[in-house]
Amino acid sequence: MTTPRTFDDDASDVLVQRFVDQELTAHERVQFVARLGRDEGLRRRTIELEELVIEAERLPRPIVPDAFAASVMARLPRPTAWHRMRNAVWTPRTLQWNVAGAMAAVCAVLIAAILVRPLMTIPRRVPAPVVSAESSITPVRLVIMQPGARTVQVAGDFNGWNPAQTSLEQISDGAWAVTISLKPGRYAYMFVVDGRRWIADPFAAEQHDDGFGARNAVVDVRPEKSL
Amino acid sequence: MELDDVALVRASQRGDRDAFGALIARHSRSILSLTTRMLGPAEAEDVAQETFVAAYKALAAFKFDSKFSTWLYRIGVNKCTDALRTRRPGKTSLDAEPDDGAVAGEIADHETPHWKLEQAELAWELEKGIQALPAVYRESFVLKHVEGLDYDEMSEILGVNRDTLKMRVYKARTLLCQSLAHLDGAHR
Repeated sequence: MTTPRTFDDDASDVLVQRFVDQELTAHERVQFVARLGRDEGLRRRTIELEELVIEAERLPRPIVPDAFAASVMARLPRPTAWHRMRNAVWTPRTLQWNVAGAMAAVCAVLIAAILVRPLMTIPRRVPAPVVSAESSITPVRLVIMQPGARTVQVAGDFNGWNPAQTSLEQISDGAWAVTISLKPGRYAYMFVVDGRRWIADPFAAEQHDDGFGARNAVVDVRPEKSL
Repeated sequence: MELDDVALVRASQRGDRDAFGALIARHSRSILSLTTRMLGPAEAEDVAQETFVAAYKALAAFKFDSKFSTWLYRIGVNKCTDALRTRRPGKTSLDAEPDDGAVAGEIADHETPHWKLEQAELAWELEKGIQALPAVYRESFVLKHVEGLDYDEMSEILGVNRDTLKMRVYKARTLLCQSLAHLDGAHR
C-alpha cells in the first residue's frame, strides 16, 4: 500500500527539481544543502535526479551517415532560372592573386594600352575579333557534399576516367569542389569518394545510365557566344 | 574562413545551394539527434532529411529574429510531431498533458525482466525510457538535457511558456527516475 503524498512531499519535489535546474537563490541553496544533511529521502532523490541529468547529457550522439547531406541536397527543389541568373550575377567571388600574376596583368594592360592608343587617334574600321580555341574553354565548377570523406576525386570523359587526375578540395564543412576547364561538349563523370565509392553528382542537371546498371552525371558545356 | 550561420543563410536565401550544404553539414548532427530521440532510429534519418528540405523551402520566410539553429529545431520538432501523429492516428493528442496514470501505464509496457544490467546498458535503458515518455514530456526533456538548451530557447522552439516547460521537464525526470529505479543501484 502506498503512502499518500503530503504537501511537504510535493514542496520537496519542487525544491529538488529547482536545485537540479540550478534555479535556487543563494539563500535557498544553503537551506537546501543543510536539509540534505538530515533528510535521507531527499538526499537519495536529489542524487537520482542529478545522475539522470548526467546520463542524459552523456547519451551518444547518432553518427551522421556519409551520404546524409548529399541525400538532402538531392531532395531539394531545383533552383529556378531566375535564381540561377541572379546567383550568377550577385554571388561574391574571391579574387586570388600573386605578384607574378599581378605583373602579368600590368603587362597585359600596358600592351593593350599601346595597341589601343593608335586606334583612338586614327579612327578606322576594325575587323571583328576572332575567337581562338583557348577562349572557347569554359571553367566548370563541380561541387559535392561529402562530410566525413577523406578524399574526393572525379573521373569522367574529360580525364580518361582516371580519378587520380582530378582531386576535389574541401572548401567548407563537408563541401568539396574543383574547377576544371572544358571545351564545348558533353561529358559524363562520377565522383570517387575515399578512392573506392563511386557516386553520381546529385547536383548534376542531367544523369544517364552508363549501361552497367549505374548512373553517370552529365555536364553539357556550350560554346560561349562571341560578341 | 568559416562563415557563420547568418552569412550562410543569407547566401542560401540568394539561391546558393553550396551555402545550404554547409548549413546541413553543420546542423545535421543536432537534428538527427533530436529525431532519433523523438522517433527512434528507424524513422530518424528520413525525418531529419525532411526537416532540412522544409527549412530550405521556407528559407525566404526566415527573418533572423531567432538563431537559425532555434528555427531549425522548431521545424524538426514539428516534423517529429507530424511523424508521431501519422504513427498513432487518433490514439493520443500530442498537445494534451497526459494524466499520470496513463504515463505510468505507458512506461510499464516498456519494462523488461532484464533490469539488472551492466553499467554500459544504462544508456540503452535511458534511451528506452525516453522513447516511452509521452511526446510532450519527451520533446521537453530531449531539448533540455540531451540537446542542452535553456528554457528560453525551448520556449521559442516549442511556443510554450517557461513554467509549463519546467513542469514538463520535472515530470519527465520523475518518470525516468521511476523507470530506471528498477536497475540495480550498483549500476547507477
